[in-house]
Amino acid sequence: MTPDTAQPNEIPEAGIDLGSEQAAVDPALFEEVPVEPPFARTVHTTPLHIVTSAESRTNRWTDWNGYTVPGVLTDLGDEYRALRGAAALADHSPLVKYRIFGRDAFDYLQRLVTRDLAALEIDTAVHVVFCEGSGLVIGDGLLFRLGEDEYRLVTEETHLAWMMESAEGFRAGIADVSATIALLSLQGPLAAACLHEAGVANIDGLAPFAARRADIAGMPVYVSRTGASGDLGYELWADAEDAPHLWRHLMKKGAPHGLRATGFALRELARLEAGFPRAGKDYLSAFAAVASGDASSPFELWRNPPVASGKAVFNGGRALHDLAPVPPRRRLVALVADALEPASLSSVLSGGRPVGTVTTSGFSPALGANIAFAMVESEAAGGELALTATLREGLNVREVVLRARILRQPAWNSQRRLVLPAPLKS
Amino acid sequence: MKWGGVQYDAIVIGGGHNGLAAAARLASGGARVLLAEAGSRVGGAAVTAEITPGYSASAVAHLLEGFPRRIERKLKLHRHGLRYAARNVATVALDRDGHHILLPRTRKEFSGFRDLLPKDAGAYREYVARRRALAEFVAPLLGERPPALNDPEALKRFLRRSVWRAALKGGRTMQSLLRALSEAIGDRLDAEFESTLLKGALAFDATLGGSEGPYAPGTSFRAVLREAIRMQGQGVSLPVGGMGAFSDALAASIAAAGGDIRIDTRVVRVLVEGGRAVGVELSGGLEVRAALILSAVAPRTTMLDLVGARHVETDDLRELRHLVPRGAAAKINLALDRLPKFSGLAPELYGSRLLVAPSLAELDEGANAARGGELPLEPMMEVLLPSVTDPLLAPEGQHVMSVIVQSVPYAMAGGWDMHREVLVQRVVRTLGHYAPGIEDMMIAGEFLTPPDIEEKYGLAGGDWHQGDLRLDRLFAFRPAPAYGGYETPLPGLWLCGAGSHPGGGITGLPGWLAAGAILADGGSA
Repeated sequence: MTPDTAQPNEIPEAGIDLGSEQAAVDPALFEEVPVEPPFARTVHTTPLHIVTSAESRTNRWTDWNGYTVPGVLTDLGDEYRALRGAAALADHSPLVKYRIFGRDAFDYLQRLVTRDLAALEIDTAVHVVFCEGSGLVIGDGLLFRLGEDEYRLVTEETHLAWMMESAEGFRAGIADVSATIALLSLQGPLAAACLHEAGVANIDGLAPFAARRADIAGMPVYVSRTGASGDLGYELWADAEDAPHLWRHLMKKGAPHGLRATGFALRELARLEAGFPRAGKDYLSAFAAVASGDASSPFELWRNPPVASGKAVFNGGRALHDLAPVPPRRRLVALVADALEPASLSSVLSGGRPVGTVTTSGFSPALGANIAFAMVESEAAGGELALTATLREGLNVREVVLRARILRQPAWNSQRRLVLPAPLKS
Repeated sequence: MKWGGVQYDAIVIGGGHNGLAAAARLASGGARVLLAEAGSRVGGAAVTAEITPGYSASAVAHLLEGFPRRIERKLKLHRHGLRYAARNVATVALDRDGHHILLPRTRKEFSGFRDLLPKDAGAYREYVARRRALAEFVAPLLGERPPALNDPEALKRFLRRSVWRAALKGGRTMQSLLRALSEAIGDRLDAEFESTLLKGALAFDATLGGSEGPYAPGTSFRAVLREAIRMQGQGVSLPVGGMGAFSDALAASIAAAGGDIRIDTRVVRVLVEGGRAVGVELSGGLEVRAALILSAVAPRTTMLDLVGARHVETDDLRELRHLVPRGAAAKINLALDRLPKFSGLAPELYGSRLLVAPSLAELDEGANAARGGELPLEPMMEVLLPSVTDPLLAPEGQHVMSVIVQSVPYAMAGGWDMHREVLVQRVVRTLGHYAPGIEDMMIAGEFLTPPDIEEKYGLAGGDWHQGDLRLDRLFAFRPAPAYGGYETPLPGLWLCGAGSHPGGGITGLPGWLAAGAILADGGSA
C-alpha cells in the first residue's frame, strides 16, 4: 500500500461545505503554478519523438517547422530502398493542421482556395492552393472534408493570420490543431500490406485521396490514402497520446514486410522524385517574399494548377482570371542533370546565360542521376539547358557545368499510387 | 418572393441626402430608379424633427454648407419647394465677457473687427486670403470624380492640372499648401494671432465633427477643406423649414422625374449572381432586380452585411477594416419659451452661427478628454437659433435652439444612460455663461449622443463625416483605394454615400458624382 492510497477519502471532504457553491471551489485552482521560462525548452519535439529517437543510429537531426525531427535514422540508401521496395514509416507531425468548422465553413473555404470545392465529398481530400489579391500563391496544402461542416487543412507553413483575416463575415471557426494531432506517413509498395497486417480491415478498398476512420489496436485512427511519395501510401492521423503506441504497433506488424523507420531527408528526396514542390523551399509565400518578384502565381508553380474557372469569387480570382491566358514569365520545372555522382547544383544556364535557380536538388537512385526543382525563365525552358554544379572530392572542390534536360514525367510515378484495390503484395 | 412590379434600371439603398442626390441625378437622366429607405422618412441626417409639438428643428445637421448651386439648379429644387431662410450666415465667436467677435464678411464688418482686435486684424486678413487661395486650389478637385489610382495616365493628368493651377496662382500657393497639408491648425494660429477667442473660433471650424484636437497634424488642411466645401455652395445657409425641407425638395425632384421612393423598406441583402450585383432583397423577402445597385450606406456595412464576405475577396474587405466610424459630436435641440438674451450680442446677430470655443487650450482639452472616454468639462459648441430667421419652427415669440456639441465620445464607460444628464447639465451651464437664465426658458429638449444619432438617423457610428476627412482618406483613397471611384470590386454595385469622395457634410456631392460616374461609364441610364 502506497502512502497515497493509505487513507482514502479523507482529504477531499475536509473544509469544503458542499451546500455553498462558492465554497465548493477547489482552492488548488488558484494556486500559482510556476511558469516555464520562455527559453527553457530549446528542443521542440513532436509526440513521436520518443519512438523516432529510439530508432536513430546516426544522431542526425534537422529542424522542420520548428520541430526537431530525425534527418536520417540509419542510412539514406537503406531508407530509400525500403520506401521504393517495401514500406517506410515517417513522422510528419510538424506539418501544420487547421481545423475549420461551422455552418459557413464551406463558403469560407470556397472563397479561400482557388479550386472549386463543390465536388468534395466527406472523407476525401484534394490538393488546394490559396492566393492573395494579386494572384500570388500564399501556400498550398491538402484539404480533407471530415464532416458536413468540418474540414482539415494541412499545409507546410503556418497561415493562421491570413485565414483568420479571411474569416471575417463568416460563421466559421479556425483552430490550429497541429500539436494535438500526430501524423504518421506510411509510404511504399507494401504500405497496404503493413496496414492489413496491423489490423485495418479492407484497407485495399480505400480509394486514392479517400479516407476513413479505423481502429488500430484499440486506438482510433483516421487513415487517408495520401502522401507525396509518388507511390502507394497512407497517412495516419492519430491522437498525440496514442501516436507512440501506434508507431510501435505498426513497426512490429510491418517488420515482416520490410517496414523501416525513415527521416526527413528521405521525405525530401521522395517528394522531389514525385514532383511535389514545397512551400518555403521551392517557392516563397506571397507574404514571405520581400520583393514581389520572388512570389509566384499558381501558373508558374504547377502545370495544371487547381484554379477554378467557373467559381464566382475567390481570393485572387480576379487577378488569376487575367493571368490565366498569359504565358507565365517563369516556371518551376523538374530537371535531370547528367552526372553519375551526387553534386550540389546551383544555377540554370541557357547558352551560357543564367536563366534560373535550383530550389531543391538531390541524387535520385531511381534515375541514377541528379534531379532538381528549378525556377526557370519560360522562354529559355524550351531550349538547351545546363546546370552549374559543385563536385567535392576530399578537400578539393570542382565547379563544373552539367548538361540538363527537363523531366516531362516525375522521376517516380508508380501506377500503384492510383490502382484500386491497392496491392497487398509486392 | 419575386418582384412583380416595375422593372428598375437602378436601385439606391439608403435615403440620406446623398442617396437622394444620386437617385435624383439618375432619374433626371431618364433612368427608372427605386430608392429604398429603411426609416420612416428620407433625409438621413438632414431631417427636421419635432422636439415637442409646435417646436421643430433640424434634428442632426443644421446648416447647408456646401451644397453646389449647379446641383440645385439642375434638379430645380426651387420649384420643388427649397427656400432659404438665411444665406451667407455670419459666424460669431462668443466671449464670456460679452466682447463677441463677428468674423467679418464685408468691408464694413472688417472695420468693426479691426476696432475690436487691432493687433490681429492684419493677420486675419492674410489668414483668410491664404485659406481662400488654397481652398480655390482644392475646391475643383472636390467637385469631380477622383482619378483612378491604377490609371497612371489619369493620375498624371490630375497632377499636371493641379500644378498648372498652382502655377497660375503664383509660387507661394504651392508652398503654403504643402505646408498646410501636414500642419496642425493650433500651431499656425498660435504663430499668427494673439486673441485666444479668435484662435479658438478658427480652430473650432477645422476640428468640428472629427475626433482630433487643434494640435493634431493635418487639421490645418481641414480648415482649407472646409472652406473649399463651402465654396461648392454659396456659403452657409439655412433652408426654410430646417434641413428636412431640403431633403424633401430632393425627394420631390425624384418623384417629379418618375423615380420611386419607398420608405420603411429595409434592404437586407444585395443579390449576387455570377459575380455581379443583380438586385436587392427587402426585409419581407421580396427580391427586386436592377442592373445597377447604389449604396448610400456606410462602405463597410455595404460590403460586409449587405453583400457578404463570400462575394468579396479578403484583400478588398481588408481595405475597409480601418473604417469603423466613431462619431465625436452630439446634438442638443431645445425648445425655448422666449428668445434667450446673449449678453453683449447685437440683435442682428442672433441668427448667426454662435461658436462656444473660448481658446485653443480648451478645445485641445476637450478632444483629449473625449479620446480618454470622458466628457468635456466645458463643452465646445456650435449654437444656432434657427427660429430667429425661420419663425415657423416655433410658436410666435418662442424659439428653438440647435446645438452641436464637439468632443463627445461614442462610447462611455458604463453606458450612456448614466452620463447623459451630466453632459446636458454641462451644456446648459456653459450656455448660461453666455445667455444667463437660459435654464428657465427650456420647455423641452432632445439630446442625441453619437449612438443615438447612429440608431435614429442611420449614421454608422454616429460619425457625421463617415470617416475622417484627412488627406489620406480623401479623393481616390476614400473610402479605400479599391473603392475610390465609387465603384466596388463587385461589378454592378456602386457606393454613393458620404464614405466616398468628397466625404461628409451636406454637399450631395458623393451621391451626385457617383451617379455621374455611372452615367460616364455607360450605365444603362
